[in-house]
Amino acid sequence: MTTEPEEWVENVRMLTESAGAIVPVDGDLSRVRSQRWVEPGFSRKVWASVVDMGWLGIQVKEESGGLGLGVRETVALAQVLGQGLVPEPVLPAWLAMQLAENAGFDAELEATLSGELLMVPAWQASPAGLDPHTGITVSNGRLSGSRTAVCGATGADLFVVTTTAGLALLPRDAKGLSMTTLAMHDGTFQAQLDFDEVVCELRPCHDIASALDTAMVLHGGYLLGVSERAFEITLDYLRIRRQFDVAIGSFQALQHRATDIKVQLELARAAINAAAAKIDLGQDGTHCSLAVLRARTRAAALARQVAREVVQMHGAIGCTDEADIGLFVRKAMSEAGQFAPEHALRKQFLTLRENPIGNSLLDSSARDHVPTDSLEPAHSTLIGACS
Amino acid sequence: MKTPDTIETPPFLADHPPHPDFNAMSDVGFRELVREFVSSHYPDIPRFAQRRLRWPEVKPWYARLARCGWLAPTWPQALGGMGLDATRHLILIEEFERYGCARIHDIGTVMLGPLLMQYGSSEQQDHYLPRILQGEDIWAQGYSEPGAGSDLAALRTTAIRDGDEWVIDGQKTWVTLGADANQVFVLARTDATVKKQAGISFLLAPMDAPGVTVRPIENLEGHAEFCEIFFDAVRIPLGNIVGEVNQGWTMAKALLGHERVFIGAPRLSASALARLEALARKNGLWNDPAFGDRFAALAMDLGDLNDLFESYMDRLRRGEVIGPDVGVLKIFQSELYQRISEELMQVAGSLAGVRLDDDGDRRHDAAGTYLAARPTTIFGGSTEIMRNVLARYSLDLPA
Ligand SMILES: Cc1cc2nc3c(=O)[nH]c(=O)nc-3n(C[C@H](O)[C@H](O)[C@H](O)COP(=O)(O)OP(=O)(O)OC[C@H]3O[C@@H](n4cnc5c(N)ncnc54)[C@H](O)[C@@H]3O)c2cc1C
Repeated sequence: MTTEPEEWVENVRMLTESAGAIVPVDGDLSRVRSQRWVEPGFSRKVWASVVDMGWLGIQVKEESGGLGLGVRETVALAQVLGQGLVPEPVLPAWLAMQLAENAGFDAELEATLSGELLMVPAWQASPAGLDPHTGITVSNGRLSGSRTAVCGATGADLFVVTTTAGLALLPRDAKGLSMTTLAMHDGTFQAQLDFDEVVCELRPCHDIASALDTAMVLHGGYLLGVSERAFEITLDYLRIRRQFDVAIGSFQALQHRATDIKVQLELARAAINAAAAKIDLGQDGTHCSLAVLRARTRAAALARQVAREVVQMHGAIGCTDEADIGLFVRKAMSEAGQFAPEHALRKQFLTLRENPIGNSLLDSSARDHVPTDSLEPAHSTLIGACS
Repeated sequence: MKTPDTIETPPFLADHPPHPDFNAMSDVGFRELVREFVSSHYPDIPRFAQRRLRWPEVKPWYARLARCGWLAPTWPQALGGMGLDATRHLILIEEFERYGCARIHDIGTVMLGPLLMQYGSSEQQDHYLPRILQGEDIWAQGYSEPGAGSDLAALRTTAIRDGDEWVIDGQKTWVTLGADANQVFVLARTDATVKKQAGISFLLAPMDAPGVTVRPIENLEGHAEFCEIFFDAVRIPLGNIVGEVNQGWTMAKALLGHERVFIGAPRLSASALARLEALARKNGLWNDPAFGDRFAALAMDLGDLNDLFESYMDRLRRGEVIGPDVGVLKIFQSELYQRISEELMQVAGSLAGVRLDDDGDRRHDAAGTYLAARPTTIFGGSTEIMRNVLARYSLDLPA
C-alpha cells in the first residue's frame, strides 16, 4: 500500500494519538509492572482495546476488514508500543495475520480482527535461525517437529506454523501439540512448541519471507521505541541526579556516551523508516531484505547499547527492580535477540548481498522470475542457506 | 532451594588441631590440601549459585569453615586465621571457585577484621574478632546514602555525642546482605564545620538497637540482596568508634583499595567464558568462524587479565602499595565480564531473555550472567570514577 507523504503523516498522528488509550501519556508503567510473570503475561482487557481500536488490522487490506495502512504507519505505532513497553502480543499477531492472509485463512483472520481469536506465529526452529521452513516435517497431513521462542503463546488460541509444505493453523489444544512455557526477564512468556503428528490442514503461503521482513522492521520500530524512552528517562536522570555538587549530566564522560547513543538512535530511526518505505513502495525483495536486515541489526545493537548505558548511568538504583528504568533493560534483554541476534542477521546480510536474486537494482520484478519449484522460492533458498 | 538438614546456631567454636605453616607448603601441595578440604567439607548446599546465598542457606558452610579454622584465610594464625600469604590466598580462592563454593557473608572477615587489626583498640579486637570467627556477628557495610554514592564524602548521616553515647540519625542504602546482618559499620558525619572528608567517623552499630529499621530492596535478578537502613536517634556507646573521631575517611579509603584488587580478580570473567563456550556448543555456534574470532578475542583478553592480576599480586606480595593503578585491573576485569556476558546474550539469540528460577540449570544462563555483570562497573568505585582517578593520579593529568 502506497500513500502520499501528507496522508501518512496524518495517519501516523492519528494512530499515535489513539495509542494513549493503552500507553499512558505520562509514562506510568504500573500497569505493565503488575502484569509481569502472571500468565498469560499480558492483559486480556487491554487486548480487547487493541482489537477495538482496529490496530490488529492496520496492515490488513480494507476489503478484508482492515485499515490497509502501510509499513511506515505500522512502524510508527510499533514505536509507541515500545515506548510504553506494551506486553500484549500485538507484533506477533501482526505477523501471524499477514501469514494467514497470504494463505487465505479468511475465517480465522476475521475472527482475529474481531477479537474472538488470538493468533501468534510459530516460525522459528532454533534461537538464531532465520529459516521459517526447517524444523518441521509433514507427512500424510500430519505435522511433527518443533518451534521455539513463540511469543505470546501463553495467551494464544491459534498457532500459525510455517513449514516447507505450506502454512498450518493449529489450535492450542490440538492433539499432539505440547507447549513448554518459558518465563522471560521482562515478565512475559515465550514457549517452545513440540508437535507429534498433529493433524493439520496445510495451505500454500506465498511470501513467508517478505512477511518476516515486514515483521522484522516493525520489531525494529518497537526496539527503537523502547530505546528512545529509556534514553529520555536517563537524560532526565542525568539532569537531576547530583553528585560532587553538580548534576552528573555535566560530566563529559557521561555526555559523550549519551551523544553516542543519540548517534545510534538517529541511525536506527533512519534505517528503519527507509526499510519500511522500501517495502511500502514495492521495491524488489532482495533490496528490501538487505535494508530490513540492516535496520533490524541496528535496532538490536541500539537496544543493547542503551540497556548497558542506562544501568551504568543510573548507578545502583539502575540495578533495582523498583526503578522503572529496569523495566526497559529487561525488555531490551528479552526482545533484542528476537527473530535472530545480530551475528545471524549480519551473516544473512552478507549471503544475500553476495547472492542477490536476479539483479535487484535493475529488475524490480526479479522475484517473480525465480523458478517456482517450491512454495517459497525466492527467499527460502537463501534463508535456508545460512541459518 | 535445598535446606540443610541441620541448622546450626552460633557460636561455631573452632575445634581443630593447630594449623601448620601453610606458607611453607609447596603451591601444589597447598592446592591439593584445599581441594581435599573442599570436597570433604562442603555441605549439602547449592554450588555455582549465581546469586548470593542468604544466611540460613550459607550457614552450614560458614559453620564448617569456622570449626576448621578456615574462615579467615588472611588473618594471622594467632588471631584465629590461616595466616596465608597472597599466593596461598589466591590458590584458596581459585579452588573454592572451582568447586563452586557459595560465597559466605564475608564483610566481617574481609573488611572489618583487617580494619580493626590496623586501627581498632585492643578491647575492640578482643571483643569483635572472635565474634566474627564464631558467626555471632555478621557485618554489613554502611557507606552509601541516597545522596552520597560516587561522592561518598557528601554523606549526611550524623553521629552526635550525647554524654557517653553517640546518637546516629540518617539513612544508608545499597547495603549488601544488610538484612542478614546483626552489625553494621557506618560512616557518619561527626563534624559539619570542616571540609567534607575531615568530619567523618567510623562507627559500629548493632542492627537490633532501637531506632534501626531495614527495608530490603529487590535487585534486577529478583533477589532482595541489598537494603536500606534507617537510623532514627540510634544510641550506641561512645566506645563504638574505630580510630579517632573524624578519622573515618582515611580508614574507609584504605578498605576500598583492597576491595578493588579483588573485584579485579579474573574468576568472574573466567566462569562467564566457560558458560559462553558451553552455550555456543549447545547452540551449534562453536565451529562458526565468526563466533570463533569473537571468542578467541575474549579468551585472549582473559589470559591477559590473568597476567595482569598476577603482576598486581606480585606487587602485593612484595609489600608494595598499589595506589590508583588498581583501577586498571578493576576497569578491565569488570568490562571484560560485561563483554563476555553480552556475547552470551548474542549466542542465546531469541531465548536470551529466559529467566531461570532458583533451581534452574545455570550452565547456559545468559541473562543471569548479564545481570550479575552489571553492578561490577558500579560498586567499589564506578568505572567512570576509576577512570577519573587514573587520569588524575596515575597519568597526572590536570584536574
Ligand atoms: C550490587 C551493589 C552492591 C552494593 N553494596 C554496597 C554496600 O554493601 N555498602 C555500601 O555502602 N554501598 C554499596 N553499594 C553502593 C555503591 O558503592 C554505589 O552504587 C557507588 O558508590 C555508586 O554510587 P551511586 O549508585 O549513587 O551512583 P552515582 O554516584 O549517582 O553515579 C551515577 C552515574 O554517574 C557517574 N558519575 C558519578 N560521578 C562521576 C564523575 N565525577 N565523573 C563521571 N561520571 C560520574 C557514575 O559513574 C554512574 O555512572 C552497592 C552497589 C551495588 C550496585
